[in-house]
Amino acid sequence: MLEVDGLQVAYGDLQVVWDVSFQVPEDSIVAILGPNGAGKTTSLLALMGLLPVKAGSASFKGSSLIGVPTHRMVERGLVMIPEERAAFASLTVRDNLELGAYTRRARASRTETMEEVYAIFPRLAERKSQLAGTLSGGERQMLAIGKALMARPELLILDEPSLGLAPIIVDQIFTVIREIRDRGVSVLMVEQHLEMALESADYAYILEAGSIATEGTGPELEADTRVQEAYLSL
Amino acid sequence: MTQLILQSVVSGILVGGIYGLVALGLALAFGVLKVLNVAHGELLMLGGYASFFAFTYWGIDPFVSMPLVFVAMFGFGVLLYLVLFRFVTRTEIHTRIKNSLLISFGLVLVLQALAVRFFTADERTISTSYSLEAFTIGPVRVPVVRLAGLVVAVVAALALEWLLSRTRFGRALRATSEDWTRAALTGVDVRRVYLIAFALSAALAAIAGSLVSLGYSISPSIGLGWTLKALIVVVLAGLGSMRGIIVAGIFLGLVESLASVWLGGQYREVVALVLFLVILSFRPQGFFGRAHA
Repeated sequence: MLEVDGLQVAYGDLQVVWDVSFQVPEDSIVAILGPNGAGKTTSLLALMGLLPVKAGSASFKGSSLIGVPTHRMVERGLVMIPEERAAFASLTVRDNLELGAYTRRARASRTETMEEVYAIFPRLAERKSQLAGTLSGGERQMLAIGKALMARPELLILDEPSLGLAPIIVDQIFTVIREIRDRGVSVLMVEQHLEMALESADYAYILEAGSIATEGTGPELEADTRVQEAYLSL
Repeated sequence: MTQLILQSVVSGILVGGIYGLVALGLALAFGVLKVLNVAHGELLMLGGYASFFAFTYWGIDPFVSMPLVFVAMFGFGVLLYLVLFRFVTRTEIHTRIKNSLLISFGLVLVLQALAVRFFTADERTISTSYSLEAFTIGPVRVPVVRLAGLVVAVVAALALEWLLSRTRFGRALRATSEDWTRAALTGVDVRRVYLIAFALSAALAAIAGSLVSLGYSISPSIGLGWTLKALIVVVLAGLGSMRGIIVAGIFLGLVESLASVWLGGQYREVVALVLFLVILSFRPQGFFGRAHA
């Protein structure tokens, strides 16, 4: 569904991403893991057209993503939830969800989608008239996911969904992510939280200093001594 | 004395509505695009001339030409955005203010010089058959054209507030002003939002210009003075509430008007600028603004 090959990204003269290649097949959860500063977020932003791609290719459902404006990617069903505060603080919960269905592909079915979102996150229904800025961290992450679902994604990209959340909430969020996959939406997530991500992911890549160091299924990576030494001991 | 004070309260409120209207456009461009367009007053000046010439040459009543001026200056705003401000919005968000200051100062000089060249430096006012009409409430005289100006300003603010809070485009606009990156990730065409917000800002300035040429007077050099008023009003109100901007405009009009009664006309501007500094020091988010905005 998503294929990235030899991606390179630089901020001016400072190159952060050197060689990133990965694939997200349909109906699966793929995780990109790695320490802070490895280039995970940078790769995603470049993929979404928010940073210039220096070299490499990326395609979604067979057509290239390079040079496509961000809002057109959302129209094609490629939706990303950025790290932290993805919802708009100055808008109410309902307005955030309405805005989530901004694209033409999502607009027609927005009433039904909103009911689905409220069914997944009853808490959001309770708080629909509240400003998003007044929600707790967990609620805000739920809203971010709900808002992304409003866009009717075919591939959902999550940047550090567990960041800054209590372990119980992280559990809930990962359960929802698996449910989303089971509904036929592919998921690509970037995480620092290795163990949790490996449990949920069908396949994972480990990114180190701007390049993919190793890849495999969850159990394979957990068994990999190098991975164990580098991350799981933390 | 009481009569003088009452009269200046009314005059202050009436001119304050226009301050608010000018500030509305400036706040829209600043809030959404994060550009500070110091040529906003020049757009007002152009709107004023458009109404003036429509009346003088074709005899079109300024209230009839107002929608046409609005549309024409919306078009001019589109052009300015595409030729100049588009490049500013491509830069990083924190460099946009200084870049837009440089560009719009240049625009001030160009538009002023062109106005002197084509419209002459003479001061102009639209004198319709009803220009001098006024009604009196007790000892106070209320000129009808200035009262109509206040009504137009309030209607514009309410319309803008409706657009922002009730429409799909308004939600996209608010999202873009909070964070353009996240707006783009939501599927909003940010460049289109910028284009429309800027054009709308120009059109609002032009409407204010029509009212100025009707109730007051215009000349090629009035622009910067109006930009300054608008800046003070935006600082007073803070970003985020359109109604708040009109209220702050009226407040500024009142303060100026009363200051010139009590302290003398020469202190009018001084009092406004002192107010500006006080608000900036003690409540930088303004009366109606949100602290995080």
